[in-house]
Amino acid sequence: MTDDTHTPTDSSGTATEYRAMTDGGTDDQARTDGGPPATVPPDDETPTWTERKERRQGLSQLTYQYFERSRREDEDLRAASTYVERDVLGFPTWPHETIRNLAISSFFVGIMLLVSALLPPHFGEPANPGVTPAIILPDWYLYWSFGLLHLDPINPEIAVLGGDKVMSDELYGLVAHGVIFGIIGLVPFLNKGSARRPVEEPFWAALGVAGVIFSVTLGVLAIQNLVPIGLDLLLNLVFLLPVLGGIVTYAVLKTMREGYMYDLNRRYYMLRPPK
Amino acid sequence: MSLKKQDEMDHNAWLKSQDLTVIETAFLTTLIWLDKRLRIVDYLELLETMYYRANLQMPKSHTEQYDLDNKFWYWYPLYSLGSLSILAYLVAAVSGALLGFYYSPSTAGAVAQGDPTAAYDSVIEIMQDVQFGFMLRSIHRWSAQFMVAAVFLHMLRVYFTGSYKEPREVNWILGIVLIGLTLLFGFTGYVLPWKQLSFWAAQIGVEMALATPLVGEWAAQLLFGGFTLGQATLVRMYILHVFILPFVVTALIALHVGIVWVQGIAEPH
Ligand code: HEM
Repeated sequence: MTDDTHTPTDSSGTATEYRAMTDGGTDDQARTDGGPPATVPPDDETPTWTERKERRQGLSQLTYQYFERSRREDEDLRAASTYVERDVLGFPTWPHETIRNLAISSFFVGIMLLVSALLPPHFGEPANPGVTPAIILPDWYLYWSFGLLHLDPINPEIAVLGGDKVMSDELYGLVAHGVIFGIIGLVPFLNKGSARRPVEEPFWAALGVAGVIFSVTLGVLAIQNLVPIGLDLLLNLVFLLPVLGGIVTYAVLKTMREGYMYDLNRRYYMLRPPK
Repeated sequence: MSLKKQDEMDHNAWLKSQDLTVIETAFLTTLIWLDKRLRIVDYLELLETMYYRANLQMPKSHTEQYDLDNKFWYWYPLYSLGSLSILAYLVAAVSGALLGFYYSPSTAGAVAQGDPTAAYDSVIEIMQDVQFGFMLRSIHRWSAQFMVAAVFLHMLRVYFTGSYKEPREVNWILGIVLIGLTLLFGFTGYVLPWKQLSFWAAQIGVEMALATPLVGEWAAQLLFGGFTLGQATLVRMYILHVFILPFVVTALIALHVGIVWVQGIAEPH
């Protein structure tokens, strides 16, 4: 201990005793180092925390109330929990994790460089505002978006308006984008709970597969003039294939689930055969 | 009293009294020199903490701990797709910065319609004259494609492992913004060489912007610098591609990964 100078020395004889006690760690009298208390006690002017909370109004008061509830909830949960703190079971960051991450990273960067070297980029004609090219295409990752702009054949014409379209074809394509991003954004608010595996939620998995297929069929729609299928049939396929894929996924996952149940049931009946 | 500066701690004398190798002497001399000026000793504790952090044990994941690998190992590589997006983004950033040395965002130089512009010529120059330029452009293009692909697949893995659920909605929404910005990155970059397809892709962009109700014309002017394409369009695409988007996307990726850090990865079970 290094606190010799701070040990209370009102009677010099006790200093050594104190040291002996603190060294052993069996001091039943809690002592400070002899300095002033670490915190300044509140005087009359300083409101206590309770008072501060009570003086608050409106939103800040609600905030306090919620925080207190939430802290209490935490404490209750912790008290009720049977969780035992353990030493971390783990792998060392160095070398295990680091080497693994470096390996994955170098592999991926290597693949990128290899592909860049093997497949050089194409370069076209200079821009010419006077000549519309036969095929206008963005990069592949925007085909789906470009396909959405080609949905104009199904832009509804309202008979009441004398066959006029409510929206221009361009606006129709834009709205389609909005709808798709909107639906994707809504997913976590519609699907909650702790299920994680596709078999646990065949519907949502089917929806996902339908979405993926839809993004591909929309891409095909974008290059419709290269596809040897009539526009009507193509439009039908664009919408039917995703639905079909969704149904197949749903059926497969349901079947897998039945299979799991069958295994469980069989194990159960082997243990307890029916009379 | 002497005017000579009192030096209670004569570090140099202490240094000489030690029996040190050249490397040790050089190291300590540098350390002392820096410490006198920057007081790095104050930060030593931080360094120490960092040292021990680097030697930390990464906790075993839920799946590893409960030995569920036999059921889930096939999901595992898919969990690296987010990091692979970042990696591709970094490669694109580096190669893009190098391309930026040679590229000029200008439509000057075309006498007649359909003549090559300065922008087009600068890309030709990169591919034909600049050492390693062809490969550089190839790397930039491919890393962009890899990034988009990785982001898209990352989104699918998040969807199909149900990782977007309850406490993680914010990251899902943030992810949608990120994939949108990634695609915008690609679109603006596609316009820059000012080739035929660049021009007509931008043309479709302007038409879309103009079709938007209420804000259409305003949006077209802001993003494309007018209703017909030209120098203003190219510069705006350039500024978006090399200045605005890099800052915004980098910041959002940091936020996105920060939230994953705080919330913990959603593990299969
Ligand atoms: C620039 C694009 C993106 C980058 C760099 C990125 C990066 C990351 C990284 C590194 C992780 C950690 C887990 C992992 O690697 O799988 C992650 C998790 C996550 N990402 Fe992304 N991401 C991007 C786009 C997206 C998109 C488009 C979505 C969905 C719309 C999304 C939603 C999520 C969610 C919900 C998590 C948490 C998943 C979990 O806890 O298991 N991210 N992201």
